[in-house]
Amino acid sequence: MTETAFDEGRYLYCVAPDGDESLSTTGLDDEPVRLVREAGLTAVVHDCGSLYDSDSATRIRRWILAHQSVVDDAGEAFGTPLPFQFDTVIRGDDDAVRSWLDAESERLTDHLDALAERWEYRVEVVWDEDAARDELEATDADLRALAERRNEADEGTRFLLTKRYETRLDRLLDEQRRAEAADLADRLGGEATELVDLGDRSRAGLDIGDADENVDVLARFAVLATDDEREAVGLLLDDVAADPGIEVRFTGPWPPYTFTPELDGGTDASDEV
Amino acid sequence: MRPTKSDDDALVDLVDAVLRTGAVVEADVVITVADVPLVGLKLRAALAGMKTMTEHGVFEEWDEAHRLGNSEASGERVE
Repeated sequence: MTETAFDEGRYLYCVAPDGDESLSTTGLDDEPVRLVREAGLTAVVHDCGSLYDSDSATRIRRWILAHQSVVDDAGEAFGTPLPFQFDTVIRGDDDAVRSWLDAESERLTDHLDALAERWEYRVEVVWDEDAARDELEATDADLRALAERRNEADEGTRFLLTKRYETRLDRLLDEQRRAEAADLADRLGGEATELVDLGDRSRAGLDIGDADENVDVLARFAVLATDDEREAVGLLLDDVAADPGIEVRFTGPWPPYTFTPELDGGTDASDEV
Repeated sequence: MRPTKSDDDALVDLVDAVLRTGAVVEADVVITVADVPLVGLKLRAALAGMKTMTEHGVFEEWDEAHRLGNSEASGERVE
């Protein structure tokens, strides 16, 4: 297990392509943010002596907003950065950061090139599941036949038929949701550089604000897009949202968190990225 | 339709993105809260997504140890 104690470290916000730009901003707990440059790359860091940990949601939220704000500033100064996960710390001083940048330069540069001029957007599509359920009950012949038989059956049989009815209804509803989500993924994916289906994955949340979690989510996607592609995605979402039973949430631009690859130690010869 | 960055939904997406994704480096020189279950314990416990992660078995071992320690130490409500 990795030793977590360290005397000196650099909290890493992101890595960006190097340029002449400077960055004047503060990070977590108002720490002054600095740039460490090497091998055509810029690491955006602040000096730290421990990891950031707290059980206060308010504090964590402030840190996360500060983290994001630094990455945003870096994006404005240098173009699309490679954002790092919250609480990523390089052990050691600036020299350690420089040798890490040097060792990883080829891969970091490749990833930055692939992400250049592109930003991440999140799309969440909410549907009226009750209405879809009602419609299936009204239109599916098998369900109607089951309902008729159920009404004429004795108590024991009625129980079984009710079970079969509910099972079929749930299955049909799930099939419909998946089909509509897949169709959306196809259409959105056709307009964007890349699309990731976030599926039913629950979000890491902090009970923030009034965001309503009690909605029926049809699909959730992360989309990587250029500015032109973002326009096209927005137009397509207008079409999707024209359906009165559908609500669309469209957020961004975010740094390409979802499209940032995992980087291993750089010693794996079989890595074909 | 234009994307938004300022409402509550956007904030939820942002928190999710910063905590759950982003580059993860596995190098001797790098420490990250994502891959080292021994750090950021309090932080993880404060996350609402915690329960789901635990259900997926990702953090079972340390979670159990942590909850035990946590409830003994402070008598905090453990969900």
